[in-house]
Amino acid sequence: MIIRISRGAGDKYDEYNVKVSQEMTVLDILFHIQGNIDETLAFRYSCRGAVCGSCAILINGMPLLACKTPVSRIDELNNVYEVFLPKEGKVPEDGMLLEPIPKLPVLKDLVVDWEPFFEHFRKLELELKEYSNPPEKEYLLGKDQVRELEKYSNCISCALCWSACPMVGDVEGYPGPAALAKLYRFYLDPREPGNVGRLYFANRDFGWWACDFYTNCRKVCPKGVPPNIAIGKAQNQLKNEEDKK
Amino acid sequence: MVGKIIHEHDVLVVGGGLAGLRAAVEAHDNGADAAVVSKVYPLRSHSVAAQGGINAALGNNPGSKDDSWEKHAFDTVKGSAYLADQDAVEALCREAPASVIELEHWGTVFSRDNEGKLAQRPFGGAGVPRTCYAADRTGHNLLNTLFEQASSRGIKFYNEHFVTSLVVNNNKCAGCITIDIQTGELHGFSSKSLILATGGYGRIYERSTNSLINTADGHALAYRCGAALKDMEFVQFHPTTLYGSNILITEGARGEGAHLINSEGERFMFKYAPEAKELAPRDIVARSIMEEIEKGLGYEGEYVYLDLRPLGAEKIKEHLPGIRQIARDFANLDPVEELIPVQPGQHYSMGGINVNIDGETNIEGLLAAGECACVSVHGANRLGGNSLLETLVFGKKAGKRAGSNDRESVRLSNVKNVLDREQERLETIFSGKGENTAALMKEMKKTVYGKFGIFRNEEKMHEGLNNLYRLQKRYSGAGLNHRGKKYNQALLKFLELGYMLEIAEAVAVSALERKESRGSHYRADFPNRDDDSYLKHTIFIKDHKNRPSITFSPVRSGLFPVKERDY
Ligand SMILES: Cc1cc2nc3c(=O)[nH]c(=O)nc-3n(C[C@H](O)[C@H](O)[C@H](O)COP(=O)(O)OP(=O)(O)OC[C@H]3O[C@@H](n4cnc5c(N)ncnc54)[C@H](O)[C@@H]3O)c2cc1C
Ligand code: SF4
Ligand code: FES
Repeated sequence: MIIRISRGAGDKYDEYNVKVSQEMTVLDILFHIQGNIDETLAFRYSCRGAVCGSCAILINGMPLLACKTPVSRIDELNNVYEVFLPKEGKVPEDGMLLEPIPKLPVLKDLVVDWEPFFEHFRKLELELKEYSNPPEKEYLLGKDQVRELEKYSNCISCALCWSACPMVGDVEGYPGPAALAKLYRFYLDPREPGNVGRLYFANRDFGWWACDFYTNCRKVCPKGVPPNIAIGKAQNQLKNEEDKK
Repeated sequence: MVGKIIHEHDVLVVGGGLAGLRAAVEAHDNGADAAVVSKVYPLRSHSVAAQGGINAALGNNPGSKDDSWEKHAFDTVKGSAYLADQDAVEALCREAPASVIELEHWGTVFSRDNEGKLAQRPFGGAGVPRTCYAADRTGHNLLNTLFEQASSRGIKFYNEHFVTSLVVNNNKCAGCITIDIQTGELHGFSSKSLILATGGYGRIYERSTNSLINTADGHALAYRCGAALKDMEFVQFHPTTLYGSNILITEGARGEGAHLINSEGERFMFKYAPEAKELAPRDIVARSIMEEIEKGLGYEGEYVYLDLRPLGAEKIKEHLPGIRQIARDFANLDPVEELIPVQPGQHYSMGGINVNIDGETNIEGLLAAGECACVSVHGANRLGGNSLLETLVFGKKAGKRAGSNDRESVRLSNVKNVLDREQERLETIFSGKGENTAALMKEMKKTVYGKFGIFRNEEKMHEGLNNLYRLQKRYSGAGLNHRGKKYNQALLKFLELGYMLEIAEAVAVSALERKESRGSHYRADFPNRDDDSYLKHTIFIKDHKNRPSITFSPVRSGLFPVKERDY
C-alpha cells in the first residue's frame, strides 16, 4: 500500500510503499516506516491503547487516533466522516494519506504544537477550587452526579475536536470544545464552592456563545465526550441566570 | 550548539506521571521553587493508562467494614512473599486513606457506592474489598487531577525535554542535562534536589502492557552515576493482557467476577488456587495460565479466554466501560456477548532505584519515587492497586524532603562541564556508523522475554545474558545517520535503547544471582522459596572500578512473621 505522509511546512509529501495487513493500526504502520524505511519521520505516541491522547492525526482527512485505527476500519469510517471533512484529492489510489491535525502549528511531519490548545486550560483555570474546610472524609456524591461528571472527565485532551471545530481559528480567542467541556465539568462539580460563577468564565461572544453547533466535536471524539451538549446546557443555564436577575 | 541554556530550580522533578506531579506539588507547597521535566506532555505519561484502582483501608464496602491499615499491610507483605520492607509498607498503608481522600478533595471523579461514599472493589491478594476506583480509568482521573493541581500552582513544566544524563560529582547530584526534543538543543538544569520519577522498565520486554515510553531511563541514569538498584529481578507479569497487542485487561474484571476458561471450557483456576481462584495474586494466576497453555489447554498455543459474561451487561457497562471499549477497538469483539482472548504479559517493575522512606538514594541530592524507585513496598510481587498508592504516598514524601532541603546551591560550573561533555557525546553518536536500532531493540526484547520471563532457569538465563552482552557490544559501536535537530526520534530511540540494554543486564544478573523462587521470580531449577539464604534484597551497583556488581541487603521486617503463602 502507498502511504503518503505530510512532511511539514509547504506542500511536501513523501510516499512509502508498505506491506500492510488489515489488523495493523495506523500507528503500527508509522512505526514500521520509522524503523525500517525512514528514520527521519516524526509522530507522537505513548500508550498505543487510545488513552493518552498523543497520536491524533488526519487519516485520509479524517481526524482520528492512529493507535485506535486499524487498516480494516478505514473504509467504513470514510462514510461516517465524509460529511464535514475536506478532501483535497491527495489520497493515493488504494493508499493512505496521513497528515498532522490542522489548526495547530506543525513542529515536524505529524507533530503539532499543542500549546495553543492547552493554553485555554490555564486561562479558564480548569482545576477544582477547594472549599477552605473540606470534610474529614470524602464528599458524598450520588451515582447520577458522578455519571454526569464522567461524561466530561473522560476527555483525554487529544485535540481532535479542536482540529475539527469550524469555530477554532475562525473566532479569535475561542477556547475550543474540549476546554469548554472541562469548564462545564467544573461548573457541575458539587465539590467546588460558588461554581455557578464558573459559567461566567466563558460568558463571552468568543466563549460559550461562539458555538454554532456543528457538533463535529462530538462526532470525532474518541472517548464519546459531548462538548456540544455541555456548551448548549451552559448557554441555557446562563440565559436562566439572566432571567433571574 | 550556540550559547548555553541553563535553568535553575530548588527542586527538579524528572517525570510528569503521578509520582512526579505529586512530588512537585508537595515541594512547591513546602515553599520550594519546583519544576517538572518530562519527555512527554505530563498527561501522556504512562500513569494515565492505569485502570483498576487504588487501595486504601477506608472500610466503605459492607464486606470490608472492619478493614484497617494493619490488614492492608498484612496483605501487602504476604503478597510480596515477605520481601517488602515492613516499615515502608506501614507508611504506605497508614497514609493510604488520607492520600486517596486528598485526591478526592482535589477533584478526582471516583466511583461511588449507594451512600455516595467512595466505592471499593475486591482485587487480587486482598482479604477484603479495598480498591477505590474511577470506573476503569483510575489513572486517567488521578493524573488529570494532579496535572490540574500542579498547573494551578504555577509549577514550571519543561515538556518534551529528554534527560540524557545527571550531573553528579563526588557523590553529589547537581542537576541534569536534557535535549529539548522540539528544537534539538541541549539544556542544563541546576538544582538543589533532583527527584527521578521516570516510571518502570517494562519495555525491555516483548509483550508488555506498558506505554511504549517506559524505557528504563531513570534507572540507567541513576545507575550510571553510582546509585544502587534493588531487586531488579522482580518483574510482574499480568495474567490478562489482550492477545495480540498486550493491552491490559484490568484485574478489576476478575474482581467483578469474570472467569478464566481453557480450551476445554474449564474454569481452571479451581485447580491452582482453590480458595481465591481467579483472585489469587498475579504471579500465581499468570503461572497457572502459562501452565495450561504449555499443557496444550490454550488456544492456538498462545492464549486462554477471559469470560465477562457472568457479570451481565449492566455491570460491564457500569464498572468496566473502558474494558468494553478496548475489546471493541483492539479485538473487534463485545465482551457482553463474547470471550476475550488473553495471555500473560510483562506489567510492572518491582525493582528500582534503592531509596529510603523519604525517597533518598545513596547519592546526595538525588531522590526517586514511584515505579522507578524501590522502597520496597512490593517485594517479590506487587498487589494490584498498591502502585498508584505508592506514587501518591512516596511522591509526597520525596517532594517534602526535597522541598525542605537547604543544601547550598550546587556549582553551576559542574552543569556546564557536563553539558559540554554531552555535546561531544552526541557528536560521537552522529559520526558513528549507522546501525538498525529497531532491529537491535527487537532482539533485546525477545531475549529478555524469552530468557527472563515467567519461567526461568540457569541455562536459559546464561544464554540470555550472553546475548545481552553481544547486543551491548553492537550498540557501543553503533552510531546514527539522521542528524536532524527537530524532533529527532531516531536519536531518542537510540538513547533509550542504551538505557534499556544497561537495565536488562541488571535484571539478568540479579535474576541469576537469586537461586530460589519467590513471588514473580520463578526458577524451574530452584522451585522453592529459600528464606534461609534469600530473604534479602539484591543490590546491583557499580563497584569502585566502575564494574557492575551484586551485593545484598537485609529485609526490614517487624510487623508480621515470615510464613508460607497459600491462597
Ligand atoms: C496498563 C496498566 C494499568 C495499571 N493499572 C494500575 C492500577 O489499576 N492500580 C495500580 O495501583 N497500578 C496500576 N498500574 C501501575 C501504575 O500505573 C504505575 O506503576 C504508575 O502509574 C507509575 O507512575 P510513575 O509516576 O511512577 O511513572 P509514569 O507514569 O510512568 O511516569 C514517568 C514519567 O517520566 C518521564 N520520563 C521518563 N524518562 C524520561 C527521560 N529520559 N527524560 C524526561 N522524562 C522522562 C515520562 O515522560 C513520564 O512523565 C498499571 C500499569 C499498567 C501498565
Ligand atoms: S473532547 Fe474528545 S476529541 Fe476533544 S480533546 Fe477531549 S477526548 Fe479529544
Ligand atoms: S498512543 Fe496514546 S492515544 Fe494513541
